[in-house]
Amino acid sequence: MSLLAIKNLTVRVREKTVVSDINFNIKNTGEVHVLMGPNAAGKTSLLATIMGLPGYNIVKGSIYFDSKNITKLPPYERAKLGIALAFQFPPLIKGVRLKDLVKAMLVKYHCSHASLLAKILDVDQLMNRYLFVGFSGGERRRTELYITLIQRPRLLMLDEPDSGVDIDSISKIANAIELYVENVPASILLVTHSGQILSKLKHIDYVHIMNNGRIVYSGYPDEILPLIFKLGYRKTLEKLGIKP
Amino acid sequence: MIKKQEHVSIDKFIVDRVESVDESILESTDAISAAKRIGLSKHEFKKAAYVQIDYSQVLTAVRKMLEKYGVIVLNTREALRKYSWVKEYYWRVLSPAQDEYMAATEKYSADGYFIYVPPKTKVPFPILTCLLITKDKLGQLLHNIIIVDEDSELHLLTGCSVSHIVNEAIHIGVSEFYVAKNAKLTFTMVHAWSSGIDVRPRTGVIVDEGGRFTSYYIIYSPVKSVQAYPIVYLKRGSRSYNVAIIVGSGKSRYDIGSKIVLMDKESCGEIISRNLAKEESRIIARANLTAKAPNTKGHVECLGLLLSDKANIKAVPELESYVHDTELTHEASIGRIAEEELIYLMSKGFTEEEAKSMIIRGFLSVDAPDLPIQIRKEINKVLNLITKEAKG
Repeated sequence: MSLLAIKNLTVRVREKTVVSDINFNIKNTGEVHVLMGPNAAGKTSLLATIMGLPGYNIVKGSIYFDSKNITKLPPYERAKLGIALAFQFPPLIKGVRLKDLVKAMLVKYHCSHASLLAKILDVDQLMNRYLFVGFSGGERRRTELYITLIQRPRLLMLDEPDSGVDIDSISKIANAIELYVENVPASILLVTHSGQILSKLKHIDYVHIMNNGRIVYSGYPDEILPLIFKLGYRKTLEKLGIKP
Repeated sequence: MIKKQEHVSIDKFIVDRVESVDESILESTDAISAAKRIGLSKHEFKKAAYVQIDYSQVLTAVRKMLEKYGVIVLNTREALRKYSWVKEYYWRVLSPAQDEYMAATEKYSADGYFIYVPPKTKVPFPILTCLLITKDKLGQLLHNIIIVDEDSELHLLTGCSVSHIVNEAIHIGVSEFYVAKNAKLTFTMVHAWSSGIDVRPRTGVIVDEGGRFTSYYIIYSPVKSVQAYPIVYLKRGSRSYNVAIIVGSGKSRYDIGSKIVLMDKESCGEIISRNLAKEESRIIARANLTAKAPNTKGHVECLGLLLSDKANIKAVPELESYVHDTELTHEASIGRIAEEELIYLMSKGFTEEEAKSMIIRGFLSVDAPDLPIQIRKEINKVLNLITKEAKG
């Protein structure tokens, strides 16, 4: 039984196919999967589809979470089951203060380690601010991760948590992720472009490369990461004999 | 769109003189249900210092308690009769010549509440007044006068409401506020009318040197039409902060705003409004800042949120200056709930309804300076009630 099982998934946004015939599994709790690939490869679209966001239309295939077919469930039902997504670009919500959202989420999720997470992610001083209005890149990423971790997800999806942030923020984000998975039985599906956060994480189980809406490679980090960082995606794929 | 002065004939309504009655009238089901609509429990309702139900007036035991501090709470007519100096404040900032509603009030009624706070007195708890209509075809005309003398402080909460059995009525509330030197007055008003009621509040405020006036107005019910445009005159170093929360519903017409005149240097004014239009409601949100003296400052913030294709909001922010050295700014926007905001909150586990509620509640939340915790609680209670009903 897999925590997450994606079978023959094809997704369109308007008329464009963004995810094409994907099969993907996260078998065990505690696994850390990294999803990499060039721009417009379909990484964010795959995460958004797993989360059930409107606009990502599944034209073929199914998604199972804990053996339950969630393909047609709305996002809030998926969130209730334990799926959470930390957005790369969370929207500005001018009238809602961070503390208001946190208060409402604590009622829903009864997260007992919210204060500790707030300290680790250094978001206490942002509580009175309207959501993401005037936040720096680091503040936005840390806050979004904080909000997502309050959900106590069993599948934590992170969309480029390390893009546009300084080294200190990346360390705080990595520390929070580590602390979370040490205390909560959760798996991670992490999208990164720069790979900066990877060196801060204690362990990574699998790396997948997406290209043109497909997962074209899955393997162990030691095998693939050095190649990606040295050669880039196009040459790595060529070296692996995969048509870019 | 309604015109600035949509005419309502007063002649067709029953206008009478106020009679003093005992507190047992507060037990009437209609009065309790009308009070409930402005967020007051039966217990809280009885704590009001002045209650007027149709043309019956109750000056409660709270008034006696206030006498300890030298605070006078009376019917305006009685105050005029009892204290000769009250005449100086009667029609001082407003004039019956200004429009037909004020003229009618002058002609028919000197009834309403009169509150006087003596110098150097901090009234230790908010004074609550309630003006209710429970009879059909009633013309409720009032003249309220509030005077907060030098270095004093008063928090006034007024609720105006109607019971469900009333199909047609008019409420005209003339209110004159005088905030003396270095005094502080916060005035919170909650309106809960119904679709057959025309409402014409007329308000004028003078804030003397170093004084502070905060006004927090909420209307969240349907109404046939409401038209209000309070004017605040600010003297040297004084401040005014005017908040209006308008939640439009049904086929109601709301023409609401305020004007602040910066009369002397170092005066400062802010007009903040949140306008939420549901169903087929129409809202005109007005604001005018007029600088007549240098070294003054003012800001207008007028935000609108449309929850229906058939609703309409028109924002009219005006900045007017007669001097060079002033800083007047404004921002105005009208929009709908952004889909990406809803999607984001839904991904965090909130249903679409819950997400809308959270966004609406956030939109309506405006903090105002000087409001005591009791009033903030009261405002929150009403805003929570609005949010429950306002998902559209």
